[in-house]
Amino acid sequence: MFKKQDIFLIIPFLLIAAALLIWFGSKPNSGIAVVEKNGAELYRFDLSQQTSAQEIDVGGSYHVKLLLEPGAISFEHSDCRDQICVRTGKLTKPGQAAVCLPAKISIKIVGKNKDFDGYTG
Amino acid sequence: MSRNKKLVILLSTVLAVIVISLIFIWMKFGQKLQSYECTNYAMGTYIQQTVYGGKRVEAATAAAKSVGALEDLISWRIDDSDIANLNKAAGTDWIKLDSKTIAILQKSLDVAKKSDGALDITILPISSMWDFGGTNQRVPSADEIKKYIQYVNYNNLRIDQASSTASLKFHYMAVDLGAVGKGAACDEAIAAYKSAGADCGIIAVGGSVGVYGTKSDKSPWHIAVRDPDSKDDQTVAMGTIDLTSGFISTSGSYEKTFTENGVIYHHLLNPKTGYPENNGLVSTTVVCDNGALSDALSTACFILGKEKGEALLKEYNAGGIFIDKNNKVYVTENLKNTFKIAKERYTLAE
Repeated sequence: MFKKQDIFLIIPFLLIAAALLIWFGSKPNSGIAVVEKNGAELYRFDLSQQTSAQEIDVGGSYHVKLLLEPGAISFEHSDCRDQICVRTGKLTKPGQAAVCLPAKISIKIVGKNKDFDGYTG
Repeated sequence: MSRNKKLVILLSTVLAVIVISLIFIWMKFGQKLQSYECTNYAMGTYIQQTVYGGKRVEAATAAAKSVGALEDLISWRIDDSDIANLNKAAGTDWIKLDSKTIAILQKSLDVAKKSDGALDITILPISSMWDFGGTNQRVPSADEIKKYIQYVNYNNLRIDQASSTASLKFHYMAVDLGAVGKGAACDEAIAAYKSAGADCGIIAVGGSVGVYGTKSDKSPWHIAVRDPDSKDDQTVAMGTIDLTSGFISTSGSYEKTFTENGVIYHHLLNPKTGYPENNGLVSTTVVCDNGALSDALSTACFILGKEKGEALLKEYNAGGIFIDKNNKVYVTENLKNTFKIAKERYTLAE
């Protein structure tokens, strides 16, 4: 039956269980979309929590608009000449990024498990 | 106390000690895993950093600052920068330059000599007419090229390291460090990580990447080599390379282009002809233990082509990846174990 000394056995295991829960629970695989202007963070969206499509008006001299959807973010509009940002398309995985250089606005997906540490080319 | 009780208490104590040690290790280990990411803009491009360790924020901030300071020194577009002053003084006196500028000029001249001019940083008289990425992109006339190509000659850039001075021999000559600057910026950043005491980190300045230290899980840095065919999506990889240290830079004909009269022109100009190089390559990637050199060599190798490029890389103990129009990939011996193709379309040439 349950003896008083059993508490010495149970508590350490409870602590281990709690530690493991915190450790593995705080490493989500889905991405967080981070929007930055001039290097400073403007917004952060948890893509796994998005339930519908939403337009984000970042404004600025290039009237940049972003499209936030369940699991994806993309540049919807910019007044820039080259439209590289818009043509990059939807970002869905951690490590992916898109930039509008003239507007100095960037969007990227961050997550604990990145595919790559860096890109060359 | 009965023997059983003693055993239980002993075992529980051992267990408690284990748990406490684990928590302690996790707290210390956890710090190493904490990363700090930041991005900023300099040298006309997107700079991304990921730094790890207790000093990660200071290191990243110091690195960003050092890149900005370097740009103020070496950008020909910035008034009163070393290079702007050097260009202004062309055909007149020798002028004093910062030791950092001299070092970069020296490395660039070394690559110019060894590549027989495939890399020539005195190319500004020609490249400024093409104006790639600028507001006045155009194809210069044959007469204009003929007139200004005579001013492109690295032999007429003289450096005196002892007095930290340099001079461009003739008026109209001018230096553009565009082919070297981003790699040099990576050198500055890595030095900043070291002196700030970061555990490890990685910086990407445009297409040049520098890595510092070892990641806490001891794995190498996984770098993606961009797919030349990926058009505007800059995160598609054609292959991956594992770096334990050093720098990697890529020069690609897909990076900066414009179309005139239906013809696509790219920014990798051959300093001898004044026109974009057309030898069948679409990109060259160089791995080297110095950032400025990796950047300079990737440009030189693109202009030189595969054979001469591989020979040049041997002289610097560097490694390279050459991709041609037919999706064939040539890898130098020293990279064969760390480079893997990730897209079926590309084949490794034997």
